[in-house]
Amino acid sequence: MWTSDTRRAFLKRSALGIGWLAALDLHAQSEQAGLAVDPLAVREPPRPATAKSVIHLFMQGGPSQVDTFDPKPLLNDLDGQRPPASFGDEDFQNGKFRQQELLGSRRSFARHGASGLQISDLLPHIARRADDLAVIRSNFHEGFTHSQAQFLIHNGWPRIGRPSLGSWILYGLGTENRNLPGFVVLLQGGVRSGPEVYGEGFLPAVYQGTAFRPAGDPILYLNPPAGRSPRQQRDLLDTLGTFNERHLRERNLDAELAARLESYELAFRMQMAAPEATDISAESLATQKLYGLDEPASADFGGRCLLARRLVERGVRFVQVWSGNGQNAIDWDGHTGCDRNHLDRAAETDKPVAGLLADLKARGLLDSTLVIWGGEFGRTPTSDGGKGRTEGRDHNPYGFTLWMAGGGVQGGQAIGSTDELGLRAVEDRVHLNDLHASILALLGLDHTRLTYRHTGRDFRLTDVGGSTALADRLRRA
Amino acid sequence: MVRLSTRALVALACCLPASLPAAEDALPQSARRVLETHCIDCHGATRMSGLDMRTSETLLAGGTRGSAVVPHDASASLLVQAVQGRGPVSMPPGDAALSAGEIDTLVRWIDSGAEWVDSGAEIEDSTWWSFRKPERPNVPDTGASDWPRTPIDAFVLAALRERGLAPAPPAEPAKLVRRVYFDLHGLPPPPEAVEKFARDPSEAAYRALIDRLLESKRYGERWGRYWLDLVRYADTSGFETDHFYTTAWRYRDYVIESFNDDKPYTMFVQEQIAADELWPTDMDLEGTLELPPDKRQNVYRRIGTSLFTLGAFPIEYTYYGDLYRAEWRAEAVDMIGAAFLGLTLECARCHDHKSDPFSQRDYYRLAAFFAGSVEGEIPLVSLFDVQTSTRAFPLLEQARILKRMAKRMGGDAPPDQRRKMLERLGEAYLKAPEPYASAKVLVHAESVPETYVLAHGDFRRKGERVRPGFPAAIPVRGTVEEPAGRALRRRASLARWLTAADHPLLGRVMVNRIWQHHFGRGLVGSPSDFGRQGDRPSHPALLDWLAVEFAARGWSVKEMHRLLMLSSVYRSSSLATREQLDTDPENRYLARMSRRRLDADAIRDAILAVSGRLNLKMGGVGVIPSLTAAEILAARTPRMWPANPDPAERDRRSVYLQSKRSMAVPMLQVFDAPDTARSCARRETSTVAPQALAMMNSGFVLEQADAFADRVRKLAGEDPAKQVEVAWRLALGRALAAAERPTASGYLERNSLAEFCLMLFNMNEFVYVD
Repeated sequence: MWTSDTRRAFLKRSALGIGWLAALDLHAQSEQAGLAVDPLAVREPPRPATAKSVIHLFMQGGPSQVDTFDPKPLLNDLDGQRPPASFGDEDFQNGKFRQQELLGSRRSFARHGASGLQISDLLPHIARRADDLAVIRSNFHEGFTHSQAQFLIHNGWPRIGRPSLGSWILYGLGTENRNLPGFVVLLQGGVRSGPEVYGEGFLPAVYQGTAFRPAGDPILYLNPPAGRSPRQQRDLLDTLGTFNERHLRERNLDAELAARLESYELAFRMQMAAPEATDISAESLATQKLYGLDEPASADFGGRCLLARRLVERGVRFVQVWSGNGQNAIDWDGHTGCDRNHLDRAAETDKPVAGLLADLKARGLLDSTLVIWGGEFGRTPTSDGGKGRTEGRDHNPYGFTLWMAGGGVQGGQAIGSTDELGLRAVEDRVHLNDLHASILALLGLDHTRLTYRHTGRDFRLTDVGGSTALADRLRRA
Repeated sequence: MVRLSTRALVALACCLPASLPAAEDALPQSARRVLETHCIDCHGATRMSGLDMRTSETLLAGGTRGSAVVPHDASASLLVQAVQGRGPVSMPPGDAALSAGEIDTLVRWIDSGAEWVDSGAEIEDSTWWSFRKPERPNVPDTGASDWPRTPIDAFVLAALRERGLAPAPPAEPAKLVRRVYFDLHGLPPPPEAVEKFARDPSEAAYRALIDRLLESKRYGERWGRYWLDLVRYADTSGFETDHFYTTAWRYRDYVIESFNDDKPYTMFVQEQIAADELWPTDMDLEGTLELPPDKRQNVYRRIGTSLFTLGAFPIEYTYYGDLYRAEWRAEAVDMIGAAFLGLTLECARCHDHKSDPFSQRDYYRLAAFFAGSVEGEIPLVSLFDVQTSTRAFPLLEQARILKRMAKRMGGDAPPDQRRKMLERLGEAYLKAPEPYASAKVLVHAESVPETYVLAHGDFRRKGERVRPGFPAAIPVRGTVEEPAGRALRRRASLARWLTAADHPLLGRVMVNRIWQHHFGRGLVGSPSDFGRQGDRPSHPALLDWLAVEFAARGWSVKEMHRLLMLSSVYRSSSLATREQLDTDPENRYLARMSRRRLDADAIRDAILAVSGRLNLKMGGVGVIPSLTAAEILAARTPRMWPANPDPAERDRRSVYLQSKRSMAVPMLQVFDAPDTARSCARRETSTVAPQALAMMNSGFVLEQADAFADRVRKLAGEDPAKQVEVAWRLALGRALAAAERPTASGYLERNSLAEFCLMLFNMNEFVYVD
């Protein structure tokens, strides 16, 4: 893999892309030199891959496992009581487990599909896809504030400065469509811990996540201002090209200058490709309906799920779809009235998520697309200890649920378990390093080899941890 | 009480094993040392020809040419054939070659079975090059060449000749003057300055130009920016709360002023670590009405210690005091390592350093220098001013009451009544007392906590108790002053040790940074890692010579600029020959000047300078530029981005923009502005399509193109031919060439003048310096 220094060296002797470089015979020269040229070129993974691309449905705020995918009859029996001493104690953001009252689920669970996977009535549409889902009930990590947990889930590290999962994958595999960003983030609004969660950290900027805007230009600064016609835009590029080429020739075809020239052409192609890719109105009414675009509650999230499919279809490597805008009431952050909060989120997301799975499957994309659903943590089995809070649940990183579908994952299975109250992961525990290692494994990447040297150290997404046992389990037929 | 899980909060800086052997080794170590010195750059992580020499398995597996090593058979091993130049390939490429001794080492090693040893770091190693005190080397004799102007040139020329390279001819005067302006000011030269120097490019004129630019306040803004990158400067904490460090800007101004004043570097270092201990002062007026200048100076020195109060910190750390203090002290040590020593000390937080001779104990001994110091607000004004600052307190109270009344009145009140109330409120606010000037700096705590070695860096796993002390591997004697009572002198001791005359690292590291910002690359390519994982110097003797000169010249940074910029090598053309590109693509040996892209700040500032809108006001609270809703999409709430309502303020230099850790200004971010999470010694220069989009379509660039067009129109009137000439000269600092005229005029015929101006901003020539 490249360090920033070798990349710089590449750039000195070669450059990004083709286009202008081909015209200037530079490309051939750099190929002769036997150098890898394009940091985003598609690379074959070192190991067998069952997934090629990823859609991460990120439920910002943290959905409650005991109200969705992890039924706990004992919790309902003990509703309103103090936890039994046998469960010990645990620290939450707003208090301690032992000092709080247990809060039973207001949802009812039933078995679904041929597999009989238990899913609550909060998510009836997703429940119908039960046989596609591998529900992992035993996730855990160590961050119980949003900020730390979001950094952990996205970057494998509780602080700013590390590359996001999507950036690592792009770095490892490249991307198939050079006219669109390889790592796209579809936000609903704000991000709790700031945009660094989808940042490239110390990796080169080509690996950064690009947030598509929900309205107007999907990519920041994509479209020319009103006063510049497409013809004039082309005129601008051609005129720039003329001057830049002259400048380049006077400088002995400096490859870095050529790369900048080429980046303008790429920007132009992006201007063409992105509006086409993001035009969901091109989809049939039936498809739009499948994603819930006809219902006000689910239209926004549904539109972004549909967009995710269109992007993956066009070769985008990693797409993240966010539910929640960074505000407690709009995130899956039910500190007070958790059930009401989750009902609202479900109305927004249930149908679109189910629609996405159905649509991917119908188009033959589900086999190669790994879909991941989950938040930065789960929620407590107790009532939130915060002042004036009722029927709320606090953050719980000690045991929580995520599910995956597609990308070679065997559906209709539940992996691991939490204790009888849903407080802690107990069986087949999956640390977030294991989760990341396994996601990389499904893509054919070895988490111990996917390294980048920075400040004298080889960094990994999984730091010094990570096991791929989960990946084996997910693939098990 | 709110409690936190420990594992999440202790951000353990973990290093992966990486090993490099010491000087006197057994055969396997010596062999690895040879590989690591000559081969691993290309056949390590880069895996050229598929060959990775970092592990035994990958070395034996070989690359596209097959196995590199056949154990017990050196002559059949491709590696040996390559280094002896008798196989299908000859390695290393270019003129670099292994010494006979090194080849012999490899041969003996392979013949004896090519045993591989994964070595840990050898702790005792004070012979590492950067730990030896620099001695003034002899300046190479370069014979009859008339190229060298200064000793720097003699060193450079000698190294070039060894590689069969010749120095480039001098740069054209117009290009040189542009280089000098961007280097010293981060701004383009005014066209008059280019033309003046082109008419008279004499030695005297060149010296005068450099002197003049060094005297300008723009200089400190540029070079202060580099320092601010290095110390991860920002105005907020980052993370979910992203709360404000409301006086951090005073540190930014302190840095700029220090560079402008040419404060001796050792003093600059001492102030940032221990100004309070080294220049103690009270704030009495001494019978005058103005604070005596020496007291004012001493208290402003203390702003330097704000360095340790503005890192990225999640608020969760404050839940546990011990955790916060452990993290805070660790960050302080990491900063000492990165900024001053050029060492990756953070690797020793959880375990002994894997490649450099620093033990975990060394790490906590350094941390102990900060025990007993905490962050605190201090007044920057006299005791008198502090005491009298509350005179107007009732007015503030009045303003509060009016505000409550205005709120109660609500939207239903008749508009004029409401307006009147708001006016009164505004007036009361204006008369209300301003808080006196203060700064968040290091102060001494009530008590001095013990310092322990923390197992795995975990604040709860206390090991051996340690006293403040210096790493043994660095051969500089220091004393730790421990006066009785509460008069702590710990940081003063650290500052004295760092700035001791015989310190091997402080000067070398800083001259290398100065070199890097002039030449695009340091003599040591890893500017903040002078350890074994870092790069070796390309010109070891030159680096030492510069370090010795730096001290001899009173640690004057401006003197170092003069020294570097008066050399012939600095004045070389950046035009590379094919031969130079083949032999030295990265230009380590400086046969030419390296061409550089402007960094994010310089691009924005250059656009403002050319548009004529640049506001040169200095200092003060960071300015929040106006951004569109699309630009602040990912901010947690748009409320957190209250743009400065004064448009002129938004046109200030980039160094004065508010640096908010959770929300970067997109225009700067896209051009690789650092993330401020940690020290940044060298910005990346990426070339990506979003940069082109920002330069063609962002509101900022469009607005500046309009302003530039207005400026051109004022100077050139409505004649398009004249407009093209004027715009060209202002943007590029040179006259329009005859060959360029048809294309330029044609474009203006088809497009508005503002679009023409925007096109100029987008030219490679605009953002690259030859």
